[in-house]
Parts: sequence; structure tokens; C-alpha cells
Amino acid sequence: MNLEKLKRHFPWITLVVLTLLVGAMDPNFLRPHNLIQLAGDISTLFVMALGITFVIYIGGIDLSAQSVANMTTVLATISLPLFGAWAGVLCILTGLLFGAVSGYVTTRLKVPSFIATLAVGGIALSVGQYASGQRALYMDATLRDQAFGWMIGTTAGIPNELIIAIALLLIALFVQTRTTVGRALKAIGAGELAAVASGLKVDQYKIMAFAISGMFAAIAGLLFSVKLAGGSPTLAEGFLLPAIVAVLVGGTPLTGGVGGVLNTAIGAMIVAVVRTSMLYLEIPATSQQIFFGIVLIAAIALTIDRSKMRIVK
Amino acid sequence: MSQFMTRENLQKWAPLLVLIALILFFSAANPNFLSVRNFARITMAATPALMISLGITFIIIMGSIDLSMEGAVAVCAVVFATLFLSLGGVLNSWAWVALPAALVVGSIFGLINGLVHVRLKIPSFMASLSMGFVGIGLSLLMTGGDRIRVEDPIFRSLLTERVLNFPLMVYFAGLALLVAWFIQSRTRIGRNFYAVGGGEELAHASGLNVNRVRVIGFMIAGVFYALGALFAVARIGIAETATGYNLMFISITSVVVGGTALWGGIGGVWNTLVGVLIVNVIANGMIVIGLPRYVQDGVLGVLVILAVYLSTDRKSLAFVK
Amino acid sequence: MFELQKVDKVFPGVHALKAVDFEIKRGEIVGLVGENGAGKSTLMKIIYGAYQHDGGQVLVDGKAVRFRSPRQAMDMGVGMVFQEQSLIPNLTVMENIFLGFEKQFVNFGVIDWKAMAEAARHQLNKVKLDISPSTTTSQLSFAQRQLIELAKVLTLEERVQGDLVILLDEPTSVLAKEEIELLFELVRDLRSRASFIFVSHRLDEVTDLSDRIYVMKDGEVVDVVNADDANIDSIQREMVGRNINKEYYREEQQSPFDTSKVLLELDSVNLDSRYRDISLKLHAGEVLCLVGTEGSGREAILRTIYGLQRPDCGRVAINGHSMTRFSARKGVEVGVAYVPRERKIEGIVAGMSVFENMTLSQMGNYAKAGVLDIGKERALAREWIGKLSIKASSENADCGNLSGGNQQKVVLAKWRSGGSDIILLDHPTRGLDIGAKEDVYVMVREMSEAGIGIILVADTLEEAIGLSHTIAVIKDGEIQKRYDCQPGSKPSLYDLIQYMI
Repeated sequence: MNLEKLKRHFPWITLVVLTLLVGAMDPNFLRPHNLIQLAGDISTLFVMALGITFVIYIGGIDLSAQSVANMTTVLATISLPLFGAWAGVLCILTGLLFGAVSGYVTTRLKVPSFIATLAVGGIALSVGQYASGQRALYMDATLRDQAFGWMIGTTAGIPNELIIAIALLLIALFVQTRTTVGRALKAIGAGELAAVASGLKVDQYKIMAFAISGMFAAIAGLLFSVKLAGGSPTLAEGFLLPAIVAVLVGGTPLTGGVGGVLNTAIGAMIVAVVRTSMLYLEIPATSQQIFFGIVLIAAIALTIDRSKMRIVK
Repeated sequence: MSQFMTRENLQKWAPLLVLIALILFFSAANPNFLSVRNFARITMAATPALMISLGITFIIIMGSIDLSMEGAVAVCAVVFATLFLSLGGVLNSWAWVALPAALVVGSIFGLINGLVHVRLKIPSFMASLSMGFVGIGLSLLMTGGDRIRVEDPIFRSLLTERVLNFPLMVYFAGLALLVAWFIQSRTRIGRNFYAVGGGEELAHASGLNVNRVRVIGFMIAGVFYALGALFAVARIGIAETATGYNLMFISITSVVVGGTALWGGIGGVWNTLVGVLIVNVIANGMIVIGLPRYVQDGVLGVLVILAVYLSTDRKSLAFVK
Repeated sequence: MFELQKVDKVFPGVHALKAVDFEIKRGEIVGLVGENGAGKSTLMKIIYGAYQHDGGQVLVDGKAVRFRSPRQAMDMGVGMVFQEQSLIPNLTVMENIFLGFEKQFVNFGVIDWKAMAEAARHQLNKVKLDISPSTTTSQLSFAQRQLIELAKVLTLEERVQGDLVILLDEPTSVLAKEEIELLFELVRDLRSRASFIFVSHRLDEVTDLSDRIYVMKDGEVVDVVNADDANIDSIQREMVGRNINKEYYREEQQSPFDTSKVLLELDSVNLDSRYRDISLKLHAGEVLCLVGTEGSGREAILRTIYGLQRPDCGRVAINGHSMTRFSARKGVEVGVAYVPRERKIEGIVAGMSVFENMTLSQMGNYAKAGVLDIGKERALAREWIGKLSIKASSENADCGNLSGGNQQKVVLAKWRSGGSDIILLDHPTRGLDIGAKEDVYVMVREMSEAGIGIILVADTLEEAIGLSHTIAVIKDGEIQKRYDCQPGSKPSLYDLIQYMI
């Protein structure tokens, strides 16, 4: 029982310990300016992780987020000269649509979510490649600043990206804790059959979770593309792994029903601190993949609720 | 007659019918499609993917999944190339040791993959996804992001040497297919895959060591991934982190499209052969009729959804995650 | 030769076996009977190695043993013929028979199919089954599969030197009369080689086949009787553990229902695979009991009324409105409530609090524009915790940590607070202790008094008889007989059973 209770507090304890460890190696790390910078740098990834959280929260997985974000960078770059700021809306709606398709395929066609999202990711990849002509594209600086200038830069020393990420976190937190949608998603994650037997429209809620994930992936792609002033079908490569790590390390287990978006915030910061510590320890960037892969295994092994899985396939 | 038209029979033969229909369609669209040269091209392109698909067929028959093949292939390819070059770089020297070494590396990779899945009780799709990332990272570490060229003409003769218009590697792949068929139909472990996929709890209650079967399954898959890596290197002459690029998607699509069900127990290596051919005929056919190559990912995406959808008996599933 | 001494088994929150003594002699057939949840299946699982005992001893020929897996038990000659068919459908008959023991036919990992087929034929002969060993199992009938299960266990004969103990778990439940006789004959023939433990709900069969009968109740062996002087009535009484009197089921509180108000009407409703031509009416305040064997179609009828299963044809009218769409959401909207048998899986959401569970089916009533009024939810939960005296530390307690009886109360509170007037109860007392069962009976009477219509699939026949106003006996998906159950003129067990089987 005690271990179970401790498990809940594991994520933030990990974060504090890690931060202090890195701080001990280099006191500069703990300067507020540096920490804010760190948080700012992780915010794009965090936004994607925020979306994936909803899907993992209901016991599914979204492997399409990275491809959707990639596609969005291309769409944003192409549509900016045509629609201005409305390009953002277009991107978000596209993400929403792709997520909803994943959700539809999982719930109505009964294709397991990891395959469904893999497949939808393939479709997004094709769209991205088609739209970009398989090239890297660049945004016109003035157009970008006109439409999306508010996404970059800083306000009172805080990166605007971070402010956006926090705003999105608050909205997601409100949805999760205070709305019928959030409650329904929790019920589905914790006991899908009971949710069905209570008369919830489970399929609709699940589709909604996937749609939310797609939307957040698109927002992440949009932020990224504005930041780098361009787009390409491989721009967000390398996002998926740390994003899933952030969700799971934060304490939302693969089996769903517990954890949530606040956990993902902590998880994303853990990822940020770990990355930075690798710089301090002079571990080459190339080993990051190995490291995160192992962290992923450890995180799942520790958090997963095995009583919910009769057999582990 | 009508007893041959049962749902069961239809499902069993549907993949082959689809393959034939596709060949007819593309031949009609462009007569050049139906030439020995083009078929050699298709089979050659399909060879590495066939190896990977054979490996994962066993995993899927068990009802598990393996998403680690891109990492496994990268590691095997890089280890092979590095060892091969350091031992002389030509096959008629000690460098041949690199070939079995690659297979051993593949099986070890599979072993770790299986152990992580079974011992830590992590669903295979997550365990193998993580292991795939580890593999990609490992190969990056070994190459530093560089490409390793393998130019030994004897090794490359797998591609360049042709017998009856088909390159040598196609025959080797055929041999591997027969080995896989033998494992599937004649060996205890092969039959145990079906037992685990057909009813894991029942198999366990009958005294089968299910965990052992699973781990061995992942090891065998690893060996086939290594074979795939060797063929891929022979085909392009380069070993790098990206050697396995996109093979995960293509191989899973192939297996599923071939009629091996994701929840296990049904299907087999011949299904996989048909599935691989379907996927490669589509890829080749799209180019032949003038569609850009990048549409392929999208088409495969739609295809896999369709295949799983059509082969699922939705009434028997309470819910799907 | 095989003996359990003071065997104990404890699960979190449940003392499943309490100092159970059990003995089986060479060549004996021992019957094992008890109500659902009496501990029969736990006992069997310890015998064949699926569970390990926490206290006491398991003795084989006087030596203490401890089976860590079914495999170990098999090596000691203990085999189980499963009730839920344990054959793997996509494998051939011979593969199933030798699953896990293929070694004898394997050289360097390669299977000698001919030798295996030969050996399989030998096993099939033992159970007098004439089919090809390479038939795919899914193509066989239930009865054939049951016999193959037996053949599979009988491979122990060749493998194990010592005595055999074979467990038969409800082997007759899916068999026809002739098939049952064939099975019994086989078992009697085989006692020269093996002892049998026979578990069944059909007491007449148990007394017919067994030499001695163990009666279990609440995790204890309450009696051991010789089959010769066994009396079905007295065994029945011991299984329930008390005289089933009128008071137990609150019969004195049974008041006539309102015949003028029809809440639910089924008119020739069909679902081909499950039930046929079901017509019935449910009135306000009526407790209607569906009685039948496992798989007779009772649950499917409940699930259709709730909207989880769409019928092929026929009319379902709820409160006078014909239903056209079938979904659980729709069912809830028109006032139907469903208390499922799998309480922990379908009834409550473990991991969610009491108040979250109570409002799950009616979140709309506690939300404005999708935003929940959590204060109001909590107030509702506190109110019902008081009303039904639910034992929970607060409305925030995790529902998964409550006892079974309290979980059931939460489920009932969920529906009653939502204003449902048709309540479907599927085995509402399953796995509850006696006190909690009585609580449920009181609630059934209260709901009936309040004009709610109840359709009940009861855990036992006595419960069905005791609680109901009306009984419909169902066999093979069809209603065979209806009984009026006014207090004082209730049908007997045998009245019902003759139409059930």
C-alpha cells in the first residue's frame, strides 16, 4: 500500500532530486533565468506531450503526433502567405481532423490504437511530403511576425512560448478536472466497461481524446514552425520519443485512468533537466536516444498497473 | 459450391485474390509492369522487407507486436559493416565472420527485447518501441551518423549476380522463407507460437512455458531482422542508422495485409509472402503508372487500417485500446 | 492418497478457504458442492496448482507437497478437466492433447507428426471418440471438445507412474442427456486407474456419480456425506447454511404490485443467437425473475432491455414508447438501470471516488455547459451514503477499496438517485456475504414499494423464488413457463428445475 502511495509522488521527487543534482554540478543551472530558458525550450515538446496525455489517459497510445506536427509545419509555412493568421486556425483544425480519424479508426473499426495511429501517421507523412514537394520551406519573416509574432520573443523576461504552453496546460487541466469530458475520460481509462454500462457515449469521448491529441500536436508543430521560420516533413523528427517519455515519466501509466496533464508538465521538465544534464556530463547527443529508450522502459515498468492486464501481450 | 464461399474461406484466400487483382490492374494500366525485368525489380525491392516481415510474423502469431525492427536492422547492419571492414572487407577472407556475427547480434537484440517485455511485464508494443529507439541510438553512437560503405564485389554479388534474371539475394530470401515455413509447421517452437496466440492462458494452464516461448519468438525474429539488414546492405552497399528506415511500417502492413491477424493465432509465412508482394506491387505499380513515391506511406496507412478492419470479427471484441 | 489438511487461503479482503480438510482415496469419485462463492473453485485451483495454499498442508501419499504451477501438479498426477473449454481453437486435436508435452515426439526441435497422431489416436480411443487427430479443434462440437479435454488429462496415465487425481469442473453443463451418460460411464470405467473429484451444480448428478460428497459453504467444508445416504434437500440446506425461511428474503414485505401501470413490454423479441420469441410485461413495483441455467439467454435479455444488445426483431416498449435505437445511453435516458453481474468490471469504476461513480450515469444533471458542479455531486453522494448506510470513509473514498456489498450499494445509489424506474439486477448478490445479501434484499423490497419495476436474474433459485412476484423460466432462449409468486403460494425448486433442464 505504501509503495502505491509513494508512486504518486515519485515524479515530482524525481524532478527535484534531478534538478538539485544538476545544480550541484553547476550552480549556474539553478539561476532563475536559466530555468526559465530551460522551460521555454521544452514548451513545444510539452504541448505535444499534453495532447498525447489525453490518449494515454484513456488507455490508448498516439504514435501519430510527430507526423501530424511535421505535416503542420509544412501546412503552416505554405498557408501563411495565403491566409495570414488564419493559417494557424487551419493547422489546428487539420490536426483535430487527423486525431479524430485516428479515434474513429480505433473505436468504430476496432483497430488497436498503436496500429491506427501509426497508419494515420503514415497518411500525415504523405500529406506533408506532398505539400512540401519533399523540400524544406521557409517563411517570409515579415509575414510571420505579422501573423504569429506574438508566439516568439519574451514578455517580462518570460518566453512567450512558455506562456502559451502554460495557458494550454491550464485549459487542459480545467477540461480534465472540471468538465464532463474530463470525468468521462477518467472513467474510460479506469474502467471502460463500467463506463459503457453507465450509459456514457464512450466512443464519442474516445474520438474526442484522439482529436485533442491531434490538435495539440498541430499546435506544437505550429509553434515549432514559427520559431524556426519554416517547415519540412521531417522538422519535428525526434519529438515522439521524449514526448511519450514525458507523459509516462510524469506518472500517467500506459494503462490509463490515473495521472493527467499536470503530471505531464512535471514529466516534460524531467525530460528537460535530463537533456541539460547530458550536456553538462558531456554525453554525446547521439546517445540521447539510447538513454531515453531505457528511461521509457523503466518508466513503464514502474508505473504500469498490472492488475488491469490479465495477460501482457 | 456454396460451402467454398464461406466467410472463413473468403478471408483465407482474400489476400491472394487481392494480389492477383492488383497485378492485373497495373498490367492493364501499363503493359511494362508485366515483364520479367519489372518482376525482378519488385522481388529485389521486397527482399529485405520480406525478411523483416517473416520475423515479425511469428511475433504477431503470438498476439504480440514488435516495433523494434528499425533499430534492430540498424544495429545489425552497422555491426556487420564495421566488423566486415575491420576484418579485411572482402568475403574471401576472415571477414565472412561478420555474416554470422550479424545474425548473433540480431538474436541478442531480440533476446533483450523479449526479456524486457516478459520479465518487466511491459506490453510488447511499448517494450519493443523503446528497444527500437535504443537500437537507433546505438547505431548512431557506433557510426557517429556516418555511412559505412561495403563495396566487396563478392558480397555485392547478392545483388549483381543474376540467375534467370533474378538476383542471387532473391534465391537466398526464398531459402529463408522455406526455413521460416519449416519453423512454423514442423518445429515445436513454431507450433507453440500458435498455441500462445490462440489462447495464452489456456496454453499456460496446459503447462506450456509461455514466457520462454515469447522470448524465443523475439530471438528468432531478431535473426530474421539481421538477415533483412544483410540484404539491405547488399542491395544499397551502405550501412547506416537509416538502413532500417520505414521498415517497421512496411513490414507490419505486409503481415497484416497478408491475413495474419493482429490478435494472434491465425496466418503464417505464406500469408506474409503474399502480403509483402501486395505492398511491393503497389509501391512499384504506383511508380509505373506515374504516381509519386511519397504517396506510398499514405496508401500503406489506409491499407493497414482496411486490412485490420476487414479481418476483425468485431462482435467478439468488447473494446479495443 | 491425496489429502488436504487444514488448508487456508486468503485473498486481500477475503478469507476464501478456512482450514479445509479434504481427502480422496484410490479409485474414489468424490463430489464437491456448494453455492457460488463457497470456495469450490479456490479449492480446486489449489489442488491442481493454479493457486498456492497459505496455511495447512497438501499431502500426496502422506508426503507434503506444494504445487507452484499446474505443470507441477500434472507431474504428480493431478489433472483438471476445465469447465470453460480449455482447448485452443486454432490448433489441431492432437496438438491440444499434447500441448506442453510435445517433447516425446520431438527430435532436435522437429515434431514427428506421425508419432503424435498415433499417440493421439490412442488417447481418443480411451474416451471412445472416433475423429481424426489432425482435425482443427474449432470445428468440433461442445460435447466432442469436452471428451477431448478428458482425453488430454488422461495422457497423465502414460506420463505419471503413481495414482491419478482428475478434477471434473461442471463437465455436464453443456452436454445432452445421452452424452452425460456416456461421460459417467467413462468415469466409472476409469476409476481403476484414477480418482475423480466431480464438481457440479446438479445435485442429482452428484449423488448419482459420487461415492462421497463434500459440502462447502463460506470457505469451509460443512459436511461430508456418503452418497448412499445423501438427501438432496438436506445438502441444499447445508449449502445455504440456514433454513431458507420467509424472513430471509423479506417475504412479509412483499406487497402486490400495480397491475395497471406497465413500465416495460417485450413483444416477440428475438435475438437469433441468444433467445427467441420473448414476450413479457413488467409493472410498477413488480419483481420479475428470469430463471434458467447458465447460457439460457437470461443475461442477453437484460442487455437488450438496457440497450447494449440490439434484437433482430420484435418490439421493446419502455414506458409506452417503442424503442428504435438501442444504446446504453438511450436506455439510461428512458429510465432503465443496469446492475451488472461483473460488479468490479462493469458496475463500479475502481480508481474513481464514490461521488464520481454515483454521478457517472447522470453527469448532465450536475453540469452546466459541460462544467461540473462538484459541490453538488458531493452533496448527493453524502446524502446516499447516509440513506443506504454505505461504509466509506467519505464521498472521496476510492470505490475500488470498498467491500463488495458497499460497492453494490454505490451502484444502486447511482441508478436510484438518477431516477431510474426500471432496474435490471444481474446476480446482484454474487460474492456478497450474508449480511450484505440481506441488505440487497431489503433494498429490492424498498424499490418495489417505491413503484420501481425490477427484473432480476438471481444467484440461486431460492433467491429467485423468495424475492419475486413473477417468475419466467427460460430454457435455450425461450420462455417455458411462468409462475405467479404470491407469498404463501410460491413454486418449489422442483417446479422450476423441471422446466429449466
